[in-house]
Amino acid sequence: MTNDDFTAKLMNDMDPRLLDFVKVRVNTFIKWDLVRFFHENPHTADSVENIAKYAGRNPIAVKPELDELVEAGVMQKQTIGGIPVYRLVDDKEMRRLIGEFIAACEDRHFRVKAVYHIIRGMR
Amino acid sequence: MERVRTGIQRLDDMLRGGFLPQSANLVEGAPGTGKSTLGMQFIYNGITLYNEPGLIVTFEEFPQQYYRDAASFGWDFKALEDQGKLRVIMTSPEVSKQDLESVGGMIETMVAEMGVRRILVDSLSHFERIAEDSYELRDIQYKFINALKREGLTSILTRESFALFGQSDDAEDGIAFLVDSYILLRYVEIDSAVRKALLVLKLRGSEHDKDIRQYEITPTGIEVQAKFKGREGIMSGSPRMAGAFEDAFVKKGPKG
Repeated sequence: MTNDDFTAKLMNDMDPRLLDFVKVRVNTFIKWDLVRFFHENPHTADSVENIAKYAGRNPIAVKPELDELVEAGVMQKQTIGGIPVYRLVDDKEMRRLIGEFIAACEDRHFRVKAVYHIIRGMR
Repeated sequence: MERVRTGIQRLDDMLRGGFLPQSANLVEGAPGTGKSTLGMQFIYNGITLYNEPGLIVTFEEFPQQYYRDAASFGWDFKALEDQGKLRVIMTSPEVSKQDLESVGGMIETMVAEMGVRRILVDSLSHFERIAEDSYELRDIQYKFINALKREGLTSILTRESFALFGQSDDAEDGIAFLVDSYILLRYVEIDSAVRKALLVLKLRGSEHDKDIRQYEITPTGIEVQAKFKGREGIMSGSPRMAGAFEDAFVKKGPKG
């Protein structure tokens, strides 16, 4: 087994649901920030510009991330009076999964693994 | 007439039983005077004492902060959300304005699904950023207030005052004319200490207490206390002893 294989095996050692969540849905640091924000403030519903303010990020960077979270089934988007408004999906299972992910992030080892997968995915 | 009680006893007494149903009630004060606390207490008491579900709409403070602040008073907002009796919604003035103007919008849906009767909007001051001028601001606020009433909600709307003591800001929006009641929260200096004063300035369609009362933010929420005695000029921020002028310049008879 090569070092890379060993590292990959180590970093894949987590709940498969959370591994899929990190690799497929929350696969950038901005998405991680956004998911954490919406988990802590679950009934937030707002425009890209305001969500970017809440996250302390640039709206140009945040918009594509929000749209990808919508595609991934984590967020939903609706137009209210001509304004695209984003909020968390109502689906209880997804909200539960988000909660499990945020709780898992309290563990440093999990965070290291999550960071590894995000950086690998950015290559 | 049935009143919507705040559950803060002396405040309800000042309001002669509480707010009028489906009314818009302005609470204005400087930072730290307890506007949000009073609003949260109104919502919490509404749920726990009077079985009236509530909404909190915040335009700046994160809901997370509300959960923490409420917990410090022993109010479990998270549990109430889990029970479907409360929602703390973070949004912006522009989105909430459009939402209330839309048919079947988020707030309208929540009101219908949860049976919401009370709402805290914190704070109305943020509407200033979406208005070009004071006329447009008044128009926006007028529509917003009407939309809340349309949904059958009794609301507390907070407004920020930058004046820590004394005279309130020179507000041009005319919101005081639009609301059904107007409660002022003020800092006052008495005997080299800062205290808090509450006054019901207006209660449309009803008699109300004219006293200026001291209040405190206690570990269990806002407590309204007795009126300030022996002082005048309370709302100036620097009250003086009542009758001091008279004692000094009137009661003294001619010398000799």
